[in-house]
This record gives sequence, structure tokens and C-alpha cells, in this order.
Amino acid sequence: MRLNNMKKPKIAVMYFPGNNCEEETRERCIEVGMEADIVRWNSKEDLSNYHGFIIPGGFSYEDRIRAGVIAAKEKIMESIRKEANNGKLLLGICNGAQVLVETGMIPGLSNKVEMALAPNTNPLVTGYYCAWINIKSIYKKTCAYNHLYDENEVIAMPIAHGEGRFVTKDKELAGKLIKNKQIVFRYCGNNGNIKDEFPINPNGSIYNIAAISNKEGNVMAIMPHPERASWQWQIPELKKGNGMASAIKVFESMKNYIEERMI
Amino acid sequence: MGDVDTDLIDIKGMEDANLSAFLRKNAISLTISEAKKIVELIGRNPSLTELHMFNIQWSEHSSYKSSRHILKMLPTKSSNVILGPIEDSGIVELGYIDGERYGIVVSHESHNHPSQVVPYEGAATGVGGIIRDVLCMGAKVIATADPLRFGNPYGENKNKARYIANEVINGIAGYGNAVGIPNLAGDIYFNESFDDNCLVNVVCLGILKEKDIIHSYAPKNAEGYDIIIVGKPTDNSGFGGAAFASLILDEEAKENNRGAVQVPDPFLKNVLIRATYKVFEEAKKKKIALGFKDMGAGGIMCSTSELCSDADYGAEINLDKVHVSMKNLLPFVILCSETQERFTWISPKEFTPTLLRIYNEDFALSTIAENARATVIGNVTKKQDYVVKHQGKVVCNVPIKAVTNGISYERQLKKPIRDFKEPQLKEPLNHDNYNNYYSYNKIALKILSHPNVASKQKCYKHYDRNVMGNTIIESGFADAGLIRAMPNSKYGIALSVDSNPRYCRINPYLGAVNAVAESMRNVAAIGAVPSALTDCLNYGNPEKPEQFYDFAEGVRGIKDAAENIYLRGTKEPVPVISGNVSLYNESSKGKAIDPSPVIACIGVMRDYEKAITIKIKKANSLLFLAGKRKDELGGSIYYEINKELGKNAPLIDFEEQRNIIYAVIECIENGLLLSCHDISDGGLLTAIAEMILGGNADGIIGAEIDLCFSNLRDDKTLFSESPGFVFEAEEKNTGKIKAVFKKYNLEITSLGITSANGFLLIKNKDKKIIDLPINKLREAWTSGFPDAIK
Repeated sequence: MRLNNMKKPKIAVMYFPGNNCEEETRERCIEVGMEADIVRWNSKEDLSNYHGFIIPGGFSYEDRIRAGVIAAKEKIMESIRKEANNGKLLLGICNGAQVLVETGMIPGLSNKVEMALAPNTNPLVTGYYCAWINIKSIYKKTCAYNHLYDENEVIAMPIAHGEGRFVTKDKELAGKLIKNKQIVFRYCGNNGNIKDEFPINPNGSIYNIAAISNKEGNVMAIMPHPERASWQWQIPELKKGNGMASAIKVFESMKNYIEERMI
Repeated sequence: MGDVDTDLIDIKGMEDANLSAFLRKNAISLTISEAKKIVELIGRNPSLTELHMFNIQWSEHSSYKSSRHILKMLPTKSSNVILGPIEDSGIVELGYIDGERYGIVVSHESHNHPSQVVPYEGAATGVGGIIRDVLCMGAKVIATADPLRFGNPYGENKNKARYIANEVINGIAGYGNAVGIPNLAGDIYFNESFDDNCLVNVVCLGILKEKDIIHSYAPKNAEGYDIIIVGKPTDNSGFGGAAFASLILDEEAKENNRGAVQVPDPFLKNVLIRATYKVFEEAKKKKIALGFKDMGAGGIMCSTSELCSDADYGAEINLDKVHVSMKNLLPFVILCSETQERFTWISPKEFTPTLLRIYNEDFALSTIAENARATVIGNVTKKQDYVVKHQGKVVCNVPIKAVTNGISYERQLKKPIRDFKEPQLKEPLNHDNYNNYYSYNKIALKILSHPNVASKQKCYKHYDRNVMGNTIIESGFADAGLIRAMPNSKYGIALSVDSNPRYCRINPYLGAVNAVAESMRNVAAIGAVPSALTDCLNYGNPEKPEQFYDFAEGVRGIKDAAENIYLRGTKEPVPVISGNVSLYNESSKGKAIDPSPVIACIGVMRDYEKAITIKIKKANSLLFLAGKRKDELGGSIYYEINKELGKNAPLIDFEEQRNIIYAVIECIENGLLLSCHDISDGGLLTAIAEMILGGNADGIIGAEIDLCFSNLRDDKTLFSESPGFVFEAEEKNTGKIKAVFKKYNLEITSLGITSANGFLLIKNKDKKIIDLPINKLREAWTSGFPDAIK
């Protein structure tokens, strides 16, 4: 599936009405050396020109009915699904993750919606909760988004959501996700210890899940915001240097993956 | 004088009693003499539409009729001012980047009465309105901040105070998070003076190139240009909101006032903002000059008349073209309702199709909210009349300047009696009496858990503080928030808000001086240079001479402080570039709120990498004090927990403030400080404890302090709120720091060291005063606020 005459990986950052992280997400793609456009929900553009798609954070369709559910049923999502089925990258961040779960593409083991992102359980704040947390990369190179991470690497990121708790009714699903190495990032303490308690697990997600990929590894839903933690100056109490911080490797991994396989 | 095609209200012929009854029946709050003044001004009796129009334009909220002549005192014209407080927002210089001059756009408003009546919607629409004020200057909106004042959470109206606090916080979060503008700063005070009248102020920042400013008036040669409104379809919500803001809140009338509160739609606003950025882009590309204005108080009437009048044009409006969501709206309701999420554009005819396409097709507004769109509703006229048609009839036809000029009053001033005394408090017992309620340890914890001192992280965690990805220092991690101004530049913009109600209760002049000085210290404490101020002046009833005196004193205090703490490197004032006046903040029982001149200070940082926070960075570094501790505990938290107010609020020596602020900034710029905290509520003890804990309350490095430097009794040294700073530095830099301070004729005092022992230990020579483990400090500081709003 090589796209000819394209030197740089090219990403479409989607904008559904109510999304609000599209600018900074696009900026991070460009900073790691990719091209990126913001593509509106009602665009007639040919999406096959892109190597990958990001559905950014925000409140698409004001979270009507359930976060992500309306965007999941938009016509343009069908085109994106087709591209992803052909191996193109598809990353959903926060509200984008909610959209991908609602499409059934995450975890994508059947043609049905297998999981949900339920309201946070949090002893401090009910509803929307914005806080800095840590996540851990469980594997290396099992998907397009952990290509450049080491196993057990700890990454600081903020979460900013009211419904970010990965849950499922299927008792066997978690086991399958572990076996398939689909649980890409898990919430942990700042020294990497994984405990299922607040504030380490900030929303009550099962198995401390922060991000899940599909089995093929080209689609991932992540609740924390890597685009807000990609530079040292973005991270609280870190010396305000101008260097990159480890969350930027989510975007660098995408670039690396595309360059290895598609260009 | 122009004629209208509808019935006129016979103001000239009506008896005063009948006129008064007529005005009341029509919910018009004009006085009889004001109604008669309309006849004088327009040379005939007005139509009902015209009467409603003047009712809104002459309300306190829209006309500043009581405050205008006093506000003239404020300094607004320093060399860094790009635009003073005359349009929807003020603009101050950020700096030059690649030869282009960039400006920071700032607006500061209140939404007090709506938030008292329907707190969620009131607070949400406050955020919505302020974002429009900044956006309509042509700016990219980059941050908001919320200074809040609530009733006593432990007083007789505690349930209501807590309910309002929670709903207001949720409303701010519900709106700001959804549009996606980070919340950068804010403060919260509780006291009983706000029981019947909370204060919900909001500040918003934007950024632009000076050459891209879009003014709140029609461009040159605008005759015949289209007048376009865009956004939500007009309904009857918020009709009379401006007039409502200028009334005293009456508990029984509250039900009737609910209709005067607007309905927020952050989802539509999210799309509107993005579509509007596209219009900016297209207009720039095509080199088209436009006029653009928020639609807030007075709706279509206010925005269209001001856009045209301020460029010496008239306007002709056809209300039948306005997109509405309700049938059979009366003409004055369409004209004056304050439906949210709307803007007015003045556009040359050749650009109108592009503008309509962006909103109506590219961003398909009508699919976002029913019947939302951009519509041409009239045009700019050479003749300077304001003409409004409805169903083929002229319902308003008056000289446009008569609509926009407003009226003014010279209100009476009378100095109220303030008979306060200094209390004689017993000194607390030293550390050995740990379990005694009056031990230093217990009092320290009580101060840290006081809701006005305690960590507000629980509130801030409702707010999206890092959306847009530009936030460098979040609320609570330092005395000011800090945001990256734009990509590819190291400019940072700092923001802090301040006003201590109890200082203002004791002395409204000194309270205002302290608010200005503290907001500047807050910005300086991270290393940013105070560049501009905004003020939201929340006071009582201007018709009561004692309450109006407090207002005038507050303005005098802001003026004196702004003029005497110069802009860095000049003798110019730190300019006041935007502001708002909110009067009639009293309950129906006639009790005014504490005078509240809420000040925001905007700071500029050339290199955000130099910024520091309050959190102690390492063990075995040195702690210093700048700013002498004085016996001036009036209004302090220490007095408050002893149920006293006191008399001596902190005095500000302007020269010393100026020097201390610029010395601290210079030290931070030279990389000499590790952390720094302004001393304010709770005094020295609180400042040190907060430095140990840090914004996230996760600090593990303690401190060992010796108070031997002070001549005051130990409680006064620890709890006096005299202005100053505490900072942490490495020993090797002591000489350099002292040299910087010496340049400013100041000395610093050594307080002690930071330590890995996990305690805050305070002594005075051999006498042990306080020994508290960090987890005790943490527990007190983090529980005080959640407990207060539970």
C-alpha cells in the first residue's frame, strides 16, 4: 500500500463539531516531521491521500446521548473505517477514543461494540476531571503508537474527561486483550507501580487501562492527552526547558511506523 | 427629527403617577425624569420600541452613568498600550516577533446577578460573553480566569452559599471546557457579605498582530456596507439583561428575573469560534476591512448602533430579516434581547457572500443549532440616524448619537463611619502544647484549612487547564498562571487576579491599593513583568452616598497604585486597559457586599523557560524573606479565625513595592531563585507551608525556620500579611541575590533552610514554636476547600 511521491507522512486531524484539540494535535504532528491538515466533518475531500487519521479530544456533538456516539455514526467515519481496514493509522485521543470505542473498531475483535467508556469513578471530583497522571508503555513495537517506547517506560500526561473508564460486560475480553497485547498503556504511579486505586488509576478503568489498540496495531484509543505533554515546558514542575518530553513519542512512533511500512 | 409609523407613548401628557405605573407595567426601570429626558433628546414622544431601547442604553450596566466621571481618573495611556478601554477589549503590547508587533487582548467582566439567580447558566454565559469580547477584536482566544466570591459556607446561609459555589464552578467548567479555552488563573473568597450576592467575574486573554485588529466600529467608507448578524437565532432570552444587572436583587422577584438570564450554548460557540477564525483568515487574504462586535447587553440594538455611531454613520435595520427561533416576537424584543452566541459584522457587499458561505455552508451552522446562521439584516447609512423597521413599519427613528451617548449622573459621596479597633489577642502557646486548641501548631493548621487559604485544586480540577497545549504554569502551582504566547517564540503571558474583601471592608482605598500591588507581586513571583491591569469594580448601590464613596475610593486606590508602581524601566503607570463596573451588588435588605475592586494583572515574560513556581525544589537550599513583617494584621486570616476584623490593613509603600517587584523579577531572570511565593492571605507561615506542599500538595521537602530576625511577637511575624516574598535559593547565589536587592535599596532576611526531614520546624532562637510533619500540613491545606463546599 505504498503511496508514491510522498516524502512526508500525511495525517488528517478530524474536526467534528465540538472537538477542541485539533490545533495542538496538528501542531504536534508537524513538529515531529509529518504533514497534517484539519479536515472538517462535512468535507468532501478524498481521504485516501492520507496515511493516517487522528480524532482529537473535545466534546463532539456536545456528548449528546453518549460521548462519541454521534460522531461514530457520521458518514465520514465510514470512509475512515475503510482506510483503517486497509492498514492506515487511526488514533483517537480522549473524545476520539470514545468515538473509536463506539464504532467497535476498538478493541475490534468482533463486528460489535464490545466495550464502553463509562463515567469516571473518582472520590475527589464527580464528572469532568482534569489532572496530571502517569501511564506506562507495556510493550515495545506491538502497535503503531509504541514503536519508540521502551517496555515499562513511564510517561506523564494529563487526563481531561468525565467518561474515561474502560469497561466491558464480556468477562473474557480482558484476558483476550492481554493475550493479544492490545493494552498498550496503563495508568501507574510516578515510579511505574501499577495499583488499582485513586489517584494512580484516576477514573476506575478496568486493569488500569489508559489505551487500547486493535489486534492489528494500526488503530488505538487513548484517554490521556499526549499532545499536551510533548514538551518539557508543558509538564508541571518540570524544569521549563525547551526539550521534548516522552509523550511526543506517540506521534514520532506514528511517523516511524508509516515511514517503515508505507513510504 | 425622524418619524415612526407606530403609536407614540404620551410621556409629555401623562401625569407622573400614571407614567410611573406605565413604566412599571412595561418592566422599564427608567425614572420619570429619565423618561422625560428622552422626549427632550429626540424632540417628540418615543415609540414603545424606542422607550425600551433607552431603558437598556441608560441602565447603569450599559451607560456607566454613575461611574463614568470617576473612571476618568484611571491611567489608560502608557506607551505599551495598543488599545485602551474604549472598545470590547483592551490591547497591550506583548513584544515584537520577526518585526511584527503583537498584542495581548484582555477583557474583564462580571456576571454577578445572573449567577446569583441561576448559578450554572449565569456563570456559563459569563464565560461565553467574555470570549466573544476578545474574539471580536480579531484575536485568537487563549485563556480565561475566574475570580469568585461566595457567601459564608459555615454561616447562616451556608446551604445556599455552597449550592451557588458548586453550580458556578460547574457552569464555568461546563462552558469553558466545551469551547476548549484553558482556565489559567482565578481565586475564591468566601464571606457572609456575599451571602445574597455572589461575585462571578471572568477575565479572558487573546493574542493578535497589531495590524490585524478588527475594530468595534465600521471601517472607513462604509456607507452602504451590510450589517450581518451571525449565530444563534434570536429569541426572548435575556431580554432586559442589562437593565437586570443594574437592579438590586430581590429574593421575591427572583423568579421573574430568571427570564433575564441568557441560555448558554458552548457547542455552537465552539463551531462559531472556528468559523470566525476562517473569516479573519479570508478577510486578511483579500485585504478587506471589517467591523465586528460581540452581541451582549442590548443585543442587536446595542451592537449595530455602536458599530455605526462610533464611525459617524447611521444604520437601517430590518427586523423581519433577523433569524429567530420564536414566532410573534415584539419588535423591541427582537431588537434588544440578549440571546447568546451572536455577533454583528459590518462587511462590504463584495465580501458578504464569502462571509455567509463560511458560516452557513462550510461550517453549516444550521446543522449545529436549529436555525443558527449568518444573515444580512440591514446596512450602514450616511445619515446618522438609527432606523429600525418591523413588518414594513418604522418602529424606531432617532439620531444614532442619541442612542449611544448615554447619560451621566454626579452621585453624592459620603464617607461612612468605620469604627474598627485592633484586638488584643493572647499569644498562642508554643509547640509543647500540641493538643491545646490555642497552640501555634493548631492555629497554623486552622489557618491552612481556612477556605480562603486552602488549596483550590478541587475546583481547578473541574476546569480544563491545558487544552490548546500552551499552558506552562497551571492555576495553583504558582502565584500566577503562565501560558506560551504562540508557537516558535519564547514569549510567555502571565495572569493573576486579586482583591481581598476584608481589607476593602476596613479601608476601601487601601483594599484597592493592595489588590493592585498583590496582583503585580503575583505576576512577578514567577518572573513575569507586570504590563497592564484590568479592573472589575464590584460595589453596592451608587444611589447610596456611603456605598458610592467606597466605589470612588476604590478607583482612587487603583489609580494611585497603578501610577506609582511604574512600568518597568519607565515612570509611566502600569495602564488599566479594560474593565467593567458592577453596581447594585446588595441584597434586598440593603446590605452591600464588601467593596470588591477585582484586579487582573497581565505580565509578559521574554523567556518562559526562566519561569519558576512556588514549590521548594531541593533540600539544603536557603530560604529568604523580602519585605519587612509589620504589625498590620487588620483583615488577616489570623484575626478572622479569632473572630476579629482589626483596623490596620497592610500599608503599601509604593517605592518599596516597585523595588521589591523589580528586584525579584531581576533575580528570576538571572536564574538565581529556585522557587518564589508572594506573601498574602495567612502571612509568612502560609507562604512557607504552601512552598513545602507545592501546587499539587505532593511536596516532600520541609523547612527549618528561625524567627530571630523579627522584633514582633511571634504570632504577628508568622501571620501578618504585610506584602513581601519568600524565596528559595542555592547558597552559592546568596551574594548575587543580595547585590540585586542592594541595587534597589533593599535588604533581604535569611529565614532558614529547606530540609529532607519531612517537617516544618519554626523556632525563635531557643524557643520552639511550630513542629508539624508535612502530612499534617497537607491534610489541613487540601481538606479546607472541599469541606467548605461539600
